[in-house]
Amino acid sequence: MVLGTEDATPVSFWFAVSPGASVGMDDLVTVRTRKPGGQPVSFYGLVDAVRTRHEGVTFDSDVQDVMAGLLPASVSYAARVLVTRVDPEDFIPPQPGDEVRQARGEALALALSADKMDYSFPGGLLADGQVLPVNYGFVNGEQGGHINISGISGVATKTSYALFLLHSIFRSGLLTQRGEGHTTRALIFNVKGEDLLFLDRLNAKLGKKEGDFQERKGWQEGRYARLGLPAEPFRDVQFLAPPRAGQGDVIVPDVEQRAAGVTPFVFSLREFCARRMLPYVFSDAGGSLNLGFVIGNMEEKLARLAAGDDAPSLTVDDWQPDTEVLLSENLRFDDMGKTRIETFAALVSYLEYKLLDQNDGEGDPRWVLKQNQGTLRAFVRRLRGVQKHLAPLVRGDVSAAQAERYRPNVLKSGVQTSVVDIHKLGGHAQSFVVGVLLRDLFEHKERYGRQDTVFVVLDELNKYAPREGDSPIKDVLLDVAERGRSLGIILIGAQQTASEVERRIVSNAAIRVVGRLDLAEAERPEYRFLPQSFRARAGILQPGTMLVSQPDVPNPVLVSYPFPAWATRRDEVAEDVGRDVEEVGEDWLGI
Amino acid sequence: MAPMRIRLDPWPVDMEGGQLGLQRFEGDLIDIETPRWGAVAPRSIPARLHTVYVVDGKRRMESRVFLEDDEGEAGMGGFGAYVVGAVNLCPHGSRPAELENVRARRLLAHAPGLRVDPCLLSPRDPHTGQLQYTPIVAEGTDPLAPLHKLQQAMLSAEQELSHGLASAVPFDEGDDREALTALTLQDGTLRRRSNLGGAVVGYVKTMQTQYLPPDRVGLLSELKPGERTPIMHLTSKTGKTTRFIWYVRLCEAAFYQHPMSGVMRLEMYAPDDSDFLPPIVREVANVSGELLCRLASRAHKDPRAPQNLIPTAALESAMSRAMGSADLVTRRLRAHIAGQYGPGAVA
Repeated sequence: MVLGTEDATPVSFWFAVSPGASVGMDDLVTVRTRKPGGQPVSFYGLVDAVRTRHEGVTFDSDVQDVMAGLLPASVSYAARVLVTRVDPEDFIPPQPGDEVRQARGEALALALSADKMDYSFPGGLLADGQVLPVNYGFVNGEQGGHINISGISGVATKTSYALFLLHSIFRSGLLTQRGEGHTTRALIFNVKGEDLLFLDRLNAKLGKKEGDFQERKGWQEGRYARLGLPAEPFRDVQFLAPPRAGQGDVIVPDVEQRAAGVTPFVFSLREFCARRMLPYVFSDAGGSLNLGFVIGNMEEKLARLAAGDDAPSLTVDDWQPDTEVLLSENLRFDDMGKTRIETFAALVSYLEYKLLDQNDGEGDPRWVLKQNQGTLRAFVRRLRGVQKHLAPLVRGDVSAAQAERYRPNVLKSGVQTSVVDIHKLGGHAQSFVVGVLLRDLFEHKERYGRQDTVFVVLDELNKYAPREGDSPIKDVLLDVAERGRSLGIILIGAQQTASEVERRIVSNAAIRVVGRLDLAEAERPEYRFLPQSFRARAGILQPGTMLVSQPDVPNPVLVSYPFPAWATRRDEVAEDVGRDVEEVGEDWLGI
Repeated sequence: MAPMRIRLDPWPVDMEGGQLGLQRFEGDLIDIETPRWGAVAPRSIPARLHTVYVVDGKRRMESRVFLEDDEGEAGMGGFGAYVVGAVNLCPHGSRPAELENVRARRLLAHAPGLRVDPCLLSPRDPHTGQLQYTPIVAEGTDPLAPLHKLQQAMLSAEQELSHGLASAVPFDEGDDREALTALTLQDGTLRRRSNLGGAVVGYVKTMQTQYLPPDRVGLLSELKPGERTPIMHLTSKTGKTTRFIWYVRLCEAAFYQHPMSGVMRLEMYAPDDSDFLPPIVREVANVSGELLCRLASRAHKDPRAPQNLIPTAALESAMSRAMGSADLVTRRLRAHIAGQYGPGAVA
């Protein structure tokens, strides 16, 4: 019953728990009150605090007398409710004494505003095992878009939840309902380990993990069954990885755990120039105005240089590198008398020559454009710095057919999920890949409009779009965040600390998810959408539980989601038999 | 000549009488347990005594009224409420203490010869319950008569509750079937003259009458906590009231306090026949030291510590709560009268 000793308001009230009943945080409840005229008003809400105390005693030490059986006292067990919905929207307070009941079935759907959602997919299980619906309209860009996930690495399992959401979107029948099954895709950047290279394989531990959980809860059915999702790995996945360093005709993906099924990707040197990828090499271009000018200038020059041909390499006629280049057998007539630039290193050397060496150190005046020597040097120095990381990725020594074959294409037909593995690349190269791929995607979408939805999963947003400073990749991400939803590019971003990510990216996310947070972090303004009690709890969340906030429901909801059905490392792959259970278990526990 | 010494009366100053001024008792006092006048050590509480009830009552006059009935008769009256209740506890501490029968009753006491209907006070807010006042005839037309009637009703309810709960006390030597399993502690002196037959102990917190002759008073100051005096049989001056009485000390008196602070007088009903001490009375006296020391409250929690027992304090607050807020009740009464007879309703 609603308490009369605490204020009951239309947004929050306390209620007394009857003896024998048990109420915990996150339980959903409903109260019905009547206006003096007799019209009913229902309140739906979420328990956000529970407490017990001795009633009728004055001193703290009285508890000893109560326990010794001398002092009569009663235990008052009360819970606070944050109202998520008032129906009809008649904001009168509930009356003390109104009965509070657990929300189930239809009441639950109303509590979570499920009736307002045209299309929804399961976002996890509530504490009592009921399904949380997430409004797809706020995910795919129709009413809102983007998902943002915050939490400490390792314990917050941000990537797992992002993948679970994708799995849920793809496989809950939602897309079939909407007739979009074949056009909705995902682009996942793998930034940590080779965790995501086994998304298409069944997880060997799934049965045991979920079985244990089911047994502990005493449920009739497992979590996947409750969610209405198949316990299956991802389907139609392509894996892209950068090639191994070192020259040669054979391009091999630079991955260790997975032997087959990973496609390497490269950009041809001509593409690099023609498609103006140069700015993405510099992640801190905003640091100096002059440097930005030089980059823009070079970008333009290279684009002009690359125009008019389609061979993967570039040819220039005004430069002779120091080393003798043997005539190779596939020399074309056009190339006669010209120098072919086949590697990223050569390109950098060429730029160095044009900017600093030509004309006895004056540089080519049309390239230099009266820029300060120091700035030019800084430009070249930076290029040299990333040369090692980018050399395997940007190549001119591949054949046209190879360039075509290994060009990353995340919109390839028949592919629903593309995993781009960038964890082995250096920081600059990672930014480069992410920036270039997103830019391509964005430009493609701008040209062809929103025919389909692409979900982009990117962890460590604070690295790509930090709050301070400017970079081309941050611009792309901002574009995605601000305009992407109208074009059908949806960012599922994650970061450890939302306070360090560009504010506009986080604030554009309609759905926000929080896993375990550092308590100091939880007090920052980025987490104001969490009520105070939830901020305190974010510090004790266990892996596998998340606080989900969506626009339809004014308060966040705690959900748990099942163990991944897909393998997250090689030793979890179901086919991989031969290791005994103990070893696998130890591995899992990190012993 | 002894030096001058000042000691504090342990009772708060707003309590009437206090302990320092004691009246002399003029009835009869007979040693019935033993002729030896000395401290009796406490005994441990027997396992078969499984329940102790602490009973108390409380009353409140809520409004004095002037009544006129439909036949033109007029007289004084009053709206009042009383509560009696008990705390049910295990002296061995094996289960939580519980409140029992704490429920307020409301009376409209009025002068005799009036026709008064029961009064039902409905609140404006339907969530807050109704108050029902039952008419009861007071003895006499004195303005204080309704209050006395209320007090009487409370006392008799208290007695009934006390005796209904406790083990029965056998009255002759041949009857020893009844063992002490349930004991009632009742706040204050046992007021009735006749014995209802239950194992009920009245405990008197403030001593206003000195029953002991001067040569025996010294023992009271010497008692150690838990120790008691031997049981005596007491007959009042009028000869109408007979009791068994003994004294128990609950705690050491601090050096600055009256030497008798922490001493409590206990009494039980006694037959007129002064030769027979029922064994159950001796048993009650034996356990009283340990039991009361266990129930005694602490000074920082209760200004009447240690005599105001822990369960009693809890019971008192539960009883006040059961009667409801006096301000609200008075306001409800006023609103009722205004609604019934006035030009318009007021809050």
